[in-house]
Amino acid sequence: MKEFEYFAPRTVEEALSLLSQYKEEAKIMAGGQSMLVLMRQGLVAPEYVIDIKGISVLDYIEYGEEKGLRIGALTTHRDIEKSHAIQKHFKVLSEMERNLATIQTRNWGTIGGNLCYGHPTGDPAPVLIVLNAKLKLAGLGQERIVEMEKFTKDILEVDLRPDEMLIEIQIPTPKPHTGTAHDKLMIMQGDTGIVGAAVSITVSPGNGVCEDVRIALTGAASVPLRAKEAEKRLIGKMINDALLEEAGQIASEGADPPSDVHGSAEYRKEMIKVFVKRVGRMALERAKQR
Amino acid sequence: MAAKREKKSKPTVILKEEEYSIIGKPIPRVDARAKVTGEAKYAADVEVADMLWGAIKRSPYAHARILNIDTSKAERLPGVKAVTTGKDFGGFKWGWSRETRDEEPLAVKKVRYLYEGVAAVAAIDEDIAEEACELIEVEYEPLPGVFDPFEAMKEGAPLVHEDRPGNICVEYHWNFGDVEKAFAESYLVREENFQTPRMAKGYIEPPAIVAYWTDSNHLTVIPAKGSPYFPYRILSNCFQLPLSNVQIIQPFIGADFGGTKNDMVNGDFAAPMLAKKSGKPVKIVYTQFDELTVCLRRHPMWITIKTGMTKDGRLKAIQTKVISDGGAYTRMSPLSNFLTGICMALPYKLPNFKTDVYCYFTNNPSSAAMRGHGIYHTRFAGDVQMDMIAEELGIDPVEMRLRNAIKNPEPGKIYETINKLTLATCGIEECIEKAAKVINWEENKKRERVKGNKAYGIGFACGTYLSGTKLSGHNACAAMVRICEDGSVNYITGATDVGQGSDTVTSAMVAEVLGIGLEDIDIKRVDTAHTPVDPGTYGSRVTVLAGEAAINAAKDAKRMLLEAAAKEFGVKIEEMDIKNKKAFVKANPEMSIPWARLVRMACYTTPGMVIVGRGQSTRGISTYGLADFTTGMGDIGTNYSFTAQAQEVEVDIETGVVKCTDNSVIAHDCGFPLNPPAVDTQVVGGAYHPGVGAALYCEFKMDKGLTLNPNLVDYKLPRAYEAPMTKVIHVITNDPFGPFGAKEASEGSTCTAAPAVINAIHDATGVWIRDLPAKPEKVFWALKKKGEKEKKK
Amino acid sequence: MKGEPKELKLIVNGKPYELKVKSKALLSDVLRKDLKLTGTKRGCLESTCGVCTVILDGKAVRSCSILALQANGHEVTTIEGLAKGGKLHPVQEAFVNHGAIECGFCIPGRVMVAKALLDENPNPTREEVRLAMQGVLCADVGYVKQIEAVEIAAEKMRGGE
Repeated sequence: MKEFEYFAPRTVEEALSLLSQYKEEAKIMAGGQSMLVLMRQGLVAPEYVIDIKGISVLDYIEYGEEKGLRIGALTTHRDIEKSHAIQKHFKVLSEMERNLATIQTRNWGTIGGNLCYGHPTGDPAPVLIVLNAKLKLAGLGQERIVEMEKFTKDILEVDLRPDEMLIEIQIPTPKPHTGTAHDKLMIMQGDTGIVGAAVSITVSPGNGVCEDVRIALTGAASVPLRAKEAEKRLIGKMINDALLEEAGQIASEGADPPSDVHGSAEYRKEMIKVFVKRVGRMALERAKQR
Repeated sequence: MAAKREKKSKPTVILKEEEYSIIGKPIPRVDARAKVTGEAKYAADVEVADMLWGAIKRSPYAHARILNIDTSKAERLPGVKAVTTGKDFGGFKWGWSRETRDEEPLAVKKVRYLYEGVAAVAAIDEDIAEEACELIEVEYEPLPGVFDPFEAMKEGAPLVHEDRPGNICVEYHWNFGDVEKAFAESYLVREENFQTPRMAKGYIEPPAIVAYWTDSNHLTVIPAKGSPYFPYRILSNCFQLPLSNVQIIQPFIGADFGGTKNDMVNGDFAAPMLAKKSGKPVKIVYTQFDELTVCLRRHPMWITIKTGMTKDGRLKAIQTKVISDGGAYTRMSPLSNFLTGICMALPYKLPNFKTDVYCYFTNNPSSAAMRGHGIYHTRFAGDVQMDMIAEELGIDPVEMRLRNAIKNPEPGKIYETINKLTLATCGIEECIEKAAKVINWEENKKRERVKGNKAYGIGFACGTYLSGTKLSGHNACAAMVRICEDGSVNYITGATDVGQGSDTVTSAMVAEVLGIGLEDIDIKRVDTAHTPVDPGTYGSRVTVLAGEAAINAAKDAKRMLLEAAAKEFGVKIEEMDIKNKKAFVKANPEMSIPWARLVRMACYTTPGMVIVGRGQSTRGISTYGLADFTTGMGDIGTNYSFTAQAQEVEVDIETGVVKCTDNSVIAHDCGFPLNPPAVDTQVVGGAYHPGVGAALYCEFKMDKGLTLNPNLVDYKLPRAYEAPMTKVIHVITNDPFGPFGAKEASEGSTCTAAPAVINAIHDATGVWIRDLPAKPEKVFWALKKKGEKEKKK
Repeated sequence: MKGEPKELKLIVNGKPYELKVKSKALLSDVLRKDLKLTGTKRGCLESTCGVCTVILDGKAVRSCSILALQANGHEVTTIEGLAKGGKLHPVQEAFVNHGAIECGFCIPGRVMVAKALLDENPNPTREEVRLAMQGVLCADVGYVKQIEAVEIAAEKMRGGE
């Protein structure tokens, strides 16, 4: 690993100040669970490493019925997994975290680090997309809000300027009668998903017709893919297995998955069908219960 | 050369089970405490004053001529203390046997696999060593290569070794009985193709070595080696040192499985050479990336098996053709490929057998031994095909195995296979019956296989493994038992515990024979300057053969003590014994003397005595009858273990993901379980890691010599969440040729796990997976194909 | 300044240390080389095998995947810090007595994961034990004895026998 200059700012301002000074030559390190692997392999070799793990003000989980869920960018995966508030109000996030890598990774790795890494197989992204999440980004003296759906631009490329930092994830309280679920195809527990699906379904309390649905997939493209055409198939309908299968078929047709040692593109297309159906079923069950 | 067939030597005398004090009961491992507190030092933990770090320069081509190496820039880098290239070794070549010395410490004229080492550097720290490697300039002339046996065997294919036409590394052609006649007489003849994957050894500790010279003539090496006497001999040859001056000190070893830890890597030569050139100790530590790209793999094999059966499901003949990928150098391929056929006539009665085996050189990293060596490939093919035939004939798979199982010979009698393997014990029948009972085979046959989107099935398989292997060359081993004046005991052996528990069990044998407690025995790590030679940890030989040496050494020491005791009591030696730390007259046990007092008396009674018992095992050497590699005849083991496994799987029929459930049983005949909990762990681990690993998870993906998945996430090693809580049943046969009746424990279950899982997948879903591993995508397409076929009907 | 060693203050196994380390030094390097605590093993260096696991502020983490400087001001426990006055921790004892140790290379990391699990959750389900063990690779035990050993230790620590 190449040597670098190291800073450990204690406040957001300090961190942003360093970022605006060194810009492209600097890299932010949170938990380092993705970053260090790349650095050890020589794929990333920053001159300056800005270690923000010590900025404790960014480590929080806040829930209020009005404002919804606010998660600080430096919250660890494990804290999200174990949070009572999240298990109660946003169970899908806790479930997703439980399947993410191993306990050691979750103990130190952060949600912010994961999202800014922008890996197409990352599990938090599709879940946050179907939860309508927004991300608060900050630069020196300025802030902006970006929709999660628009944050990942390409493989390992996110909408983050060289002098910006992710501060907070904002998830609105879901409408009543909304159910959300996530699952991924693993050979072994904790694997990166060969494909993954997050689905959120809102049903009308009176007649059970689908009012809203959001489907986001991993392993389907170079970024988390919102399966909009598949969603259209379900809106305004009474969702049943046959309809979910159709939606899965449409989602699969709209996907352009990679081929690698874990699965071919054709297999992934087949699995997208399976997981849209399975996760859709789970989301529907949950929507009906609320 | 026909194998000499003479009677086996006199069997070891076995006490009745109830009379053992230590053996046969749970024995706490002697090294467990050191390991659990972090005190145990492995090779990478060793630090020596003034130590330099070494790094290896590796070829970016899978096949290329080396035109020039310029190390001048590297030499000039501050902090670099020595540089070496292949030329420094003066044309030395090494190999597993005298006839197969085709590999150089560092490549000189040609590289034959990607990342083969061509130079090495020692520097004051790891970073400088790496940087220096990058400054070494090598000019290559890339050559076309061959990357699987089918390319290698083509007419006019590029040659990996110029003096090896057709890229043939080794071939065998054996013929027993008359398979053609038997096929003609068979009610059913079936032929299938199977494939086993290219696998990593899987140990978590990568190779490491520390080397230094105490003077220009004395070399000390501390390597992660499962068989220290391999580098002992090889380095002696390489550096032209007398064996007496080569000291291999063994640290704790993080497992071996017959892989790189037995055999040499570039670093094992580079470190001593760099130490010689720099005058300082040099340490080289491989990473897991190194292990997964350059170190030895299990041969991938393509097996065609043709079987003839009678109408009632009895084997008439088996014919196999095996093609394997040996990689760039010979290494142990002659043995690996020999083993595919030698035990084919076990565990079922087989009257006719023919095999043709072809191992090819390719420009891939070399293949070599791995737990379940050789036998697992053809056992997988044989036991899956047996289920296929059972289905076709309408015979229950367990019933079919019982019909073919070799019966346990009566005491004093021997069963001989068509290729002259001799068995004094064979518990396979009992193994099958017990495993089938515990898994509730009969009831489960009737149950519904499919529940929602999951299907459940149970598969059965049988296996065997050789124990106490007998090979040519120097295969004797010895032990010493030194009794200190205060009654404590040093047990000195050259045999290595790589985690299988041999230190514990052989120390227990010494304590049992001497009649004292395990806590009184001290065993140290192997140090070739002080411990007697031992062939190494492979071929399931340590407990059986080094154990025999330990027993003989203990008996020798005991005899010396009993001489003194007998004199004291005025009786003959035969009239005395030692038990529970007391020497006593058998006919009159009140006439006794406590152990410590006896030892002191023996040592101090003028003129004093130094009590060192010596013992050898010679069962492993050629005068006892060798297996003949050319004909495939003769014993390859001192005795043979037998295993029956029943394993349930859950198949997700929508995704193809297969999981083992906790419904898992292994019945294992290891003769007599010397340390029952250790046997359990060995049997379970042997089935899961390499067995289920091959069945479901493990394979290297290659592209023209490049390993596409050289990390432990893309190359899947079996993990804890998916591990079945397997029940182990001990079947006891008390083999007369093993110490205390013992045979090997656990390579047998490596051979049963894969066919059991594949048979279970078939039981659950009706699909046969013939090429391992049964990854989800493979199972998915097979299920889809089956579904489409059924729709057409 | 790039390349200049930086100050690192941390507590390891209850003892405070003040060191100077390179920025790029990994926590596992500092533990093994500077503090000579070689009980924590060096395995894959790629965050896949888990034998380098230590406990950092009560949480199991991979020491090969953390810059040493990130541990500044924190508390680390390694395998060497478990046994007190020669008496093994219940997790260590259970591993020894239950035959859960073969080559031993994964044991330090595995024991630390188990200890962290039981400190946080004294009554884990088998599923939770499996999930914890998933983060440390073994190559020879088959995991069964290890899972059982953690359950035995849990019972002992809860006051059972």
